[in-house]
Amino acid sequence: MSEPILQVKHLVKSFGTHEVLKDIDFEVQKGEVISIIGSSGSGKSTLLRCINMLETPTAGEIIFEGKPVSYKPKDKNHFRSRVGMVFQSFNLFANMSALKNCTIGTEIVAKKSKEEATALAKKYLKIVGMLEYQKARPAQLSGGQKQRVAIARALCMEPDLLLFDEPTSALDPEMVGGVLEVIRDLARTGMTMVIVTHEMLFAKEISSRVVFMDNGIILEQGTPDEVFNHPTQERTKEFLSRYRQ
Amino acid sequence: MPNTFWEWVAFLCQKYFPDFMRGLGVTLELAVIGTIIGCVIGFAVGVVRSAVIDKGASPVGKGLMGVIKVVLGVYVEIFRGTPMLVQAMVVYYGTMALWGWDIPSFTAGIVVLSLNIGAYMSESVRGAISGIDPGQIEGGQAVGMSYGQIMFHVIMPQVFKNLIPQIGNTFVSAIKDTSILNVIAVTELYFAAKTVTGTYYKFFETYIIISVIYFVLTFVISRLLGVLNKKLEGTRNYELVKEPESTDE
Ligand SMILES: Nc1ncnc2c1ncn2[C@@H]1O[C@H](COP(=O)(O)OP(=O)(O)OP(=O)(O)O)[C@@H](O)[C@H]1O
Ligand SMILES: [Mg+2]
Repeated sequence: MSEPILQVKHLVKSFGTHEVLKDIDFEVQKGEVISIIGSSGSGKSTLLRCINMLETPTAGEIIFEGKPVSYKPKDKNHFRSRVGMVFQSFNLFANMSALKNCTIGTEIVAKKSKEEATALAKKYLKIVGMLEYQKARPAQLSGGQKQRVAIARALCMEPDLLLFDEPTSALDPEMVGGVLEVIRDLARTGMTMVIVTHEMLFAKEISSRVVFMDNGIILEQGTPDEVFNHPTQERTKEFLSRYRQ
Repeated sequence: MPNTFWEWVAFLCQKYFPDFMRGLGVTLELAVIGTIIGCVIGFAVGVVRSAVIDKGASPVGKGLMGVIKVVLGVYVEIFRGTPMLVQAMVVYYGTMALWGWDIPSFTAGIVVLSLNIGAYMSESVRGAISGIDPGQIEGGQAVGMSYGQIMFHVIMPQVFKNLIPQIGNTFVSAIKDTSILNVIAVTELYFAAKTVTGTYYKFFETYIIISVIYFVLTFVISRLLGVLNKKLEGTRNYELVKEPESTDE
């Protein structure tokens, strides 16, 4: 295999005495779509947040394209501009239109011209089906629409890796389909993605690899077929059985 | 000579009209300048005191930030913890005693009022900053924006908008608070009234006159600010944009 785009080495994260991530080793190859599944509190969000440096790990290393990422603000910001993140709670900028939400990063971080930034924003708003709403502010959009704008915002940076933390968990059931459809299309274009999700059918369908986390460790990983159809660990079987009724 | 209460009021109004107007002018000037400078100080201090020190920043930067924060904290506590009347005395007579500065009363008044407003405003700014959903900060971090960029483009515009009513209230309070500055001989409206009472000893009549002036002024300004706030709240409507198919790429 070629060099991984992202490597996480011996990652430990504690909140006080609570060790949430216990020596995690994890890597992502270019073009992979990885789903992270596991029960609530197992540390999935914390892992994603550590990868994007929203949390400072207690120990361990993040290696991006072969180079360890430092925590100096400049390096950190550059790294984050290459790694997109989509949150469960959208986290759009409330004072900006959908279009501006998408152009601000490309303008002031990627330093593209206004025209270029606008063109990119329109392109990605169109891909997520939100071009019509470019003038609306987040407060004027439904949850599913907000999430699609948030995905467009992340895509505008043309990231090398896109992280999703339960992108559909805060949505009404009828909104979920549209957002999953967008992610499915991205998978087809070869976008490298790590997706934390509770949508098991979706994970099974789009992932090239599935990671099962339990209590701060990666207990089991493999192809969707291996993890979903032939799990080797008791905890995995138990977890999956809850989704099979 | 006037006989009744109302005759006295009319007489004083007429005779001292220019003095009351001059006092009113000074009061407004103090309130406007004090509110503007105070808000600038308040926003600056509030932003700095709320700043999150990046864990990855250099030790020198972290140390410097820490010291600045402590100094600003002391300033805010002192100005919120002492009466403005006392602050006026300390600034006016203190600078004279310590450094021999003979600053004009008006200037001293502006300094005291601005620092006072700044201290209170900085706390409101801090509160407003912490009231913004932290998710938006993470949203900005996730696209690689620096803390400064997030503050400037995302947080502060919202904080400013949320604080506009408060800035209006501060201005209205400032109009009233300027009366305190008569203790350092700033010739504002209350000071003008005090001078008038020195001639005819008609205290009640004189103070009724300036009460009416203060009240009309603050009442009118409050109403105007209310209208302005309504306007600023803006509309919840937006237009859908139908792009022709040709804008594909
Ligand atoms: N900021 C924090 N401070 C303290 N503890 C935290 C913090 N964030 C997470 N934790 C703890 O870390 C553990 C793992 O949380 P995490 O959010 O990573 O779980 P998760 O796998 O994403 O769960 P879910 O599926 O419910 O989202 C939890 O026990 C939680 O209490
Ligand atoms: Mg989570």
